[in-house]
Amino acid sequence: MSYNDTAPAPEGPILRVEGITKAFGGVNAVNGATFDVPRNKITALIGPNGAGKTTVVNLLSGAYKVDSGKVHLGSTDITNMERHKIARLGLMRTFQLSRELSGLTVLENLLVAPKVQAGESMYNIFFRPRLVKREERQNLERALEILRTYGLYDLRDNRARELSGGQKKLLEISRGVMASPSLFLLDEPMAGVNPALIERIGGYIMDMKAQGVTVLMIEHNLNVVERICDNVIVLAEGRTLATGRLSELRENKEVVTAYLGEIINASSSH
Amino acid sequence: MAQFWYYFFTLVFFLFDYFILAMGLNIQYGEAGILNFSYFAFVAIGAYVTGAVSLPSSVGSGQQYIFGFNMPFPFSLLAGGVACMVLALFVALIALRRLRTDYLAMVLISMSLVLYDIINNYPRLFNGADGIYNVPQPLAGVLHLTSNAFSIFFACLTGVIAMLMWLVMSRITRSPLGRTFRAIRDDPDVAAALGKGVFRYQVTSLVIGSFYAGIGGGLIMQFGGSFNPSAWLPGETFVVFAVIIVGGVGNNVGLLMGALLVEALLIHLPAFLPEIPGHPGLIEYIDGALIGIILMVMLWFRPQGLVPERIRRFPLPAGELLDRDGHSVVAPTPTETVAASAAHDASEGTVA
Amino acid sequence: MTQFWLAFGFGLVTASVLAIAAVGLSLQFGITNYINFAYGDFMALGAFITYYFNAEAFHINVWVAMIFGTLAVGVFGVLINRFLLSPFVRRFNKSFYVLIVTFGLSLIMLNTIYSIWGTNVRVYNLKIEVYKHVGPFLLNKYQIVVMVIAVVLMTGVALMVKTTRLGKSMRAMSDNTTLAMTSGIDTKRITTITWFLSGSMAGLAGTVLAITESNLTPASGELFLFVIFAAVIVGGVGSIYGAMGGALLIGLATEITAAYWNPAYKLDVAFLFLIATLLFRPNGLLSRPGKA
Repeated sequence: MSYNDTAPAPEGPILRVEGITKAFGGVNAVNGATFDVPRNKITALIGPNGAGKTTVVNLLSGAYKVDSGKVHLGSTDITNMERHKIARLGLMRTFQLSRELSGLTVLENLLVAPKVQAGESMYNIFFRPRLVKREERQNLERALEILRTYGLYDLRDNRARELSGGQKKLLEISRGVMASPSLFLLDEPMAGVNPALIERIGGYIMDMKAQGVTVLMIEHNLNVVERICDNVIVLAEGRTLATGRLSELRENKEVVTAYLGEIINASSSH
Repeated sequence: MAQFWYYFFTLVFFLFDYFILAMGLNIQYGEAGILNFSYFAFVAIGAYVTGAVSLPSSVGSGQQYIFGFNMPFPFSLLAGGVACMVLALFVALIALRRLRTDYLAMVLISMSLVLYDIINNYPRLFNGADGIYNVPQPLAGVLHLTSNAFSIFFACLTGVIAMLMWLVMSRITRSPLGRTFRAIRDDPDVAAALGKGVFRYQVTSLVIGSFYAGIGGGLIMQFGGSFNPSAWLPGETFVVFAVIIVGGVGNNVGLLMGALLVEALLIHLPAFLPEIPGHPGLIEYIDGALIGIILMVMLWFRPQGLVPERIRRFPLPAGELLDRDGHSVVAPTPTETVAASAAHDASEGTVA
Repeated sequence: MTQFWLAFGFGLVTASVLAIAAVGLSLQFGITNYINFAYGDFMALGAFITYYFNAEAFHINVWVAMIFGTLAVGVFGVLINRFLLSPFVRRFNKSFYVLIVTFGLSLIMLNTIYSIWGTNVRVYNLKIEVYKHVGPFLLNKYQIVVMVIAVVLMTGVALMVKTTRLGKSMRAMSDNTTLAMTSGIDTKRITTITWFLSGSMAGLAGTVLAITESNLTPASGELFLFVIFAAVIVGGVGSIYGAMGGALLIGLATEITAAYWNPAYKLDVAFLFLIATLLFRPNGLLSRPGKA
């Protein structure tokens, strides 16, 4: 059972990033990041603040253009492709500060998500109303299902701007799931969220993996990373420092230096 | 007595006409978030084109204009609508592409000023400052109406056209297309991240809205038989904005209310009041300023308008909700918590 | 060739008027991050106040009367910002509403000016214009004074922005308002000062426009507004130097085309530049990142 749009099991990493760079003014935010994201696994992107993690996500999703380097999604070169085209290929993302579609209801937020809808074409609206109606119904059922799973069902007719911070985070994640991504980039999904909600979100992420979605998440909470991530990429000063299992990386001197305070604190408090 | 009916039906005409105009601006601004400050330029083009195609060839008529096809009634109106759509496409391709809201508004206002200037100064297009007049009454050969009877008839016809256009607009705003427009209005970055081609949708909304503008303008031309530059000074766009903001952005009933209040009552009613001696035009100026003031008051105290945008509820599908495995969709908790997974992995001796 | 230089001279005059107006608009846009669509009416207001002192109620020398016009609109700008625009900006964080408010303000101002002064064309009380040869140009003394004012003002603004603390604060606010606030810059005070400057320059520009065009109507400002927009967009939105550069370019281009082609096409040429910029270099010649 898979939400994945793409055809039978392709081989190799779902994302290959080769030497991407990005400078703002004189500052090199990303300075040669290279890594692969393995299929059907949950990969964490960690690193000290200012390492360029969010910029990398912005580059991958097409929000910014790379100055140099290449990005391949599956076998497609998506370097500098337009945002919405990258999204249509199955790459979804969330934002660090939740961005809900404020004037729409929770349910509508999800209903916007499916990439191509018959009802978005003027021709279909007037000349193929039954097709539109049928697709709407299918999307509605799926959206309600997802809302129930994420505990947002009772809020479905509330405007998104009325939600609490934690609910907005859930909305953003569930909206991405509704879009049937093959690769889901999560930008600090656990940030500023209470421990019980962290548990839930972690569970949802593992569900996604079970359903065939590959996840790449920026995360500072190494406890979570340890428990749910299969693979870790460490970024520092705009370039890839190391990749591998978290247990291996703890032994890596460079990583420990870059991250000095955090790893020691994480392992000592748990 | 006939005079009274004439006044009354003129008000009725403008009520329905501005309702059509408001729907057009609403799909651009209320639904898709495009601040089209040049809206009335489109209305003017609709009026001019409808007039110019209805008239016979300009040679020897004392007026100068292009077209002159002697087109009969509903086609001349449609021509106005289509001309606006072409203009909108053109404008969108040049200006919409990379500009953010206020930058775009600047360009659109400039475009409308230049268009105004061109039409005013090049009589060959639409007879310059004199404007186009003597446009034949629509369906004059079929119905033989006196001018008062025509006003009544045409006001009602406009009402019918307005209702038809309302039905079309309702379909659009309630469809996934309308929803995508609103998503783009709320946050274009998020919409793009969800795979929506923002530019394409903005162009679509601009084009649909301009069709309504063109029809509304064409109807003005057909009702009055004439149209000239004094009818479309830059402030006119603002009146349409006032209609949708006072009435209620995004709500079609609200638009009708807004058209009633702003257009019929505030604009046209005072036109029937006698002039203040010694101060020609003063009433008009006070009127114009008053609209601006009312708009600001509304924006401050009730920005959602008199009739706010409704929450769109979706009726639940009949029968029980089942997920893909045929199980009832019940529990709000995820199927596998982090703790359970960790325990599982620990027992297997691996982290992944 | 003399025709070219004559046109060039007139172009410099137009560019001077345009520069004053464009820089005033740019300063305010840089700080507040929204366009004041009533700017043209600010200009008209300044021109009419000058007219009042110069030709209507009193008969003061036009340059002295201009001081009244300039300062009055400066104060007006401060008041409008304090009581109308700032409250709207604070309340709604989308820029939509304040733009509509400035658009509405424009309507109110225009109608108010119409109701006080009517639609007739007005002319300032000026002494007979004698054209003198200044190098290859043929200019009258009013045009020369306008150009001098423009040059002095541009230099002053450039110096202020580059060297004074006020200028540095303005630049900081223009780049990132939140950061500027947390760095201890008194953003409210800077905003007030900016509105005073912007309003004054609008009033000044309106007056010199009426002087150089030899006529004045309530709508003069609004019609000129789009040429200002063209200058600002071509030069690069958000950049003061861009505004100056755009003004020079558009001013020269329109006058030279008018001389060689047809004076009626002046505005259209400005618009063509605007379109060309949008198509080929949408950020203008010197824009600052984050603004456009």
